[in-house]
Amino acid sequence: MKDKLVIIPAFNEAGCIVNTVNDIIENAPEFDYVVINDCSRDDTYKLCVEHGFNVVNLPINSGIGAAVQTGYLYAKRYGYKYAIQVDGDGQHDAAFLGTMARYMEEHGTGMLIGSRYIEKQGFQSSGLRRFGIKYFTVLIKILTGKRITDPTSGMRMVGRDIIEYFAEEYPKDYPEPETAVTIVKRGWTVDEIPVVMKERQAGTSSISPKRSVYYMIKVSLACVMAAMSV
Amino acid sequence: MTTEIQVIIIVLSGLGILYIGNLVRVRRLELKYALIWFLVGVLVIIFAANKHWLQSLSNFLGIELPINMLFFAGFIFVLMIIFTQTIVISNLTRRVKRLTQEVGILNKRIDDIIAAGTPSGEGVMLEKSSNKNEEEKGE
Repeated sequence: MKDKLVIIPAFNEAGCIVNTVNDIIENAPEFDYVVINDCSRDDTYKLCVEHGFNVVNLPINSGIGAAVQTGYLYAKRYGYKYAIQVDGDGQHDAAFLGTMARYMEEHGTGMLIGSRYIEKQGFQSSGLRRFGIKYFTVLIKILTGKRITDPTSGMRMVGRDIIEYFAEEYPKDYPEPETAVTIVKRGWTVDEIPVVMKERQAGTSSISPKRSVYYMIKVSLACVMAAMSV
Repeated sequence: MTTEIQVIIIVLSGLGILYIGNLVRVRRLELKYALIWFLVGVLVIIFAANKHWLQSLSNFLGIELPINMLFFAGFIFVLMIIFTQTIVISNLTRRVKRLTQEVGILNKRIDDIIAAGTPSGEGVMLEKSSNKNEEEKGE
């Protein structure tokens, strides 16, 4: 067993789960991985079993936050030193996992976020979404004093302490900006390194235009609460 | 309030209390959550039996019609119950989430053990897991 784990939450990702996992197996050899199938209604689980992937199947659909947290619980139980979550939709390039792991090991960072907006290469998201991300950067800066250029990035690696913390406490949905605030507030270090992301290969984003208003309000409130609750 | 309506209210409340009591008896309702409804029933009976109490309470609070006093009290009470239930639901959500995660990880461990222990282990695991998915779809 290796000491680094890739957590791949998947909900209805039959279109790209195989590519995502194979990408990780090929391009991130120093990592173990676990797919968390959040009770997908398509063939995601079947494909994982057919390909012999390491998959945990949640018997009830529990939401992205709960799926990712299952990964952290798994990492805690199996004694992993580092865990990184990537999205199951193939947006994240496995080639960056090794780079992130080396950075973590050198700098002893608490949480390392893969940011699209340091070198501004690759898929940059649509205009309105970029504005939303900017907004959270500003909000987090106000709340914590820390500037995080890509607070909604789903690509984030954490060390053992935060694995144990996330296994107990993790937001139910849209966890990214909120957990960034929590981690800074609890005194862990947060760093970012540049990564390049691709456009999603298949499936749809969990944040549809209709839900984006709810997203902004809910996540803003969650960030404020997280900043106050330490 | 006429004597007839007084009797009707008292009888209905009494029946309600008996009904709730029976639900608790056959374990359809947790006693913990039934208590508040018992309390409501008893209060309604008390105020129906002593109609001048409602009148004097309304006078004391400066509410002209006793019926408005009743609406007000009922509204506050309903809000309280709904809020309590929101808290209960939040707790339940959290617990269901953790159980789901534990079941997922447990299932995986069992599948791994079966796969490692018996040559036909993989087949067993496939069959079981796909059954489970179908049940989920059926719901």
